[in-house]
Amino acid sequence: MSEHHHDHDHPTHTHDGKPIQEDPLPPLEAQILETSVRELLIEKGVVSADEIRRAIEAMETRGEALGAKIVARAWTDPDFKEKLLHNSDDALMEFGINMSPMELCVVENTDDVHNMVVCTLCSCYPRPILGIPPAWYKRRDYRARAVREPRAVLKEFGTELPDGKQVRVHDSNADLRYLVLPKRPEGTEGWSAEQLEELITRDSMIGVSDVLAPSEAGS
Amino acid sequence: MEPKYKPGDKVRILQRNQPGHVRTPIYVRGKTGIIERIVGSFPNPETLAYGDTGLPYKMLYRVNFRQAELWDDYDGPADDTLEIEIYEHWLAPA
Amino acid sequence: MRGPHDYGGLPAGPVDPDKHEHDPTHWEKTVDALMMLIFDQKRRLARVDESRRMQEALGEDYHKFPYYERWLQAVTWLMLEKGVFTAEELEAKQGEVRTRLEAERNGA
Repeated sequence: MSEHHHDHDHPTHTHDGKPIQEDPLPPLEAQILETSVRELLIEKGVVSADEIRRAIEAMETRGEALGAKIVARAWTDPDFKEKLLHNSDDALMEFGINMSPMELCVVENTDDVHNMVVCTLCSCYPRPILGIPPAWYKRRDYRARAVREPRAVLKEFGTELPDGKQVRVHDSNADLRYLVLPKRPEGTEGWSAEQLEELITRDSMIGVSDVLAPSEAGS
Repeated sequence: MEPKYKPGDKVRILQRNQPGHVRTPIYVRGKTGIIERIVGSFPNPETLAYGDTGLPYKMLYRVNFRQAELWDDYDGPADDTLEIEIYEHWLAPA
Repeated sequence: MRGPHDYGGLPAGPVDPDKHEHDPTHWEKTVDALMMLIFDQKRRLARVDESRRMQEALGEDYHKFPYYERWLQAVTWLMLEKGVFTAEELEAKQGEVRTRLEAERNGA
């Protein structure tokens, strides 16, 4: 994602004075405002260009892979799982993650319960663990309907649940951030944490889909 | 700060209009649910939003609702639920 | 009295996880970084709740603005409110940047 191109025909964006990757351009007015605000903040000494670059790099290293590691550890280490469910601050410290001033609330999927997370008021998301929320998570469609017709929304993600399974929706509206602990699939007995990580998708940790089947590992 | 409610207590979310920034969505106002757990005390977002300190802190709870309580036309099993965080000053005993 | 951001339960279209998904662009990540930096421990220039207040203040425009344009507006208004820069400084800067970016977009 942070690959620099110096030789293309249409420099899309200047950052530290250098053209960077060929992303679609924002509307001109938005680009003007962003560039103006950024340059003023740099000129005023509020932020440096280097701090912006490092913040973007840090963003790029945080992502669902970290979430998958945490879930795989919980699947393979019962003590860690207990800690993650009941004292998440301590559990996350083992991964060098500090959620403060928020707290992580881990909700566990079981044979009888399926959990699903939404933030109806904005787009609260466990960013230190899962990175930047997906675009659909921030849109009105998901925010409006996940609380009112969660089963219909789950179907749109290809997730069909039997009526016998309870759906618990979590509206992430205040000081907690939510991570769904998906159910470990059958047929993974004896798998290492590293093998299990490959099954754990971002969407399964938001609760809109299940983890991959063992046969889908590495796909 | 002593929490006014404990897990299992039945509570009603206040049906209140309030100007400014609040974190209690319209769809739970006036609805009745059960305290699922006490989250702890947190700065008040309603004043933090204006650059204030958020003091005094407010007790925050997770409240559990049956979906059928929230939506008259809920299309799903009766035991489907929704949980959301509500600050104490938006709660009344039910 | 529903704020423009309070979407829970409102009518809305289907969620299309394929269509409504893209990797954040460099521009979006830059806006994200600016927001995170004004919130961070070193600066503490604003709180997330203040940013939400500013986004809600967009009113009907809240629905029209893409996500990161809402964030950008919030950062801008917060910096003006806190006196980090003035409206006059911003206007002058925008004039200068406009000339530069228009030339860039026109392949100059």
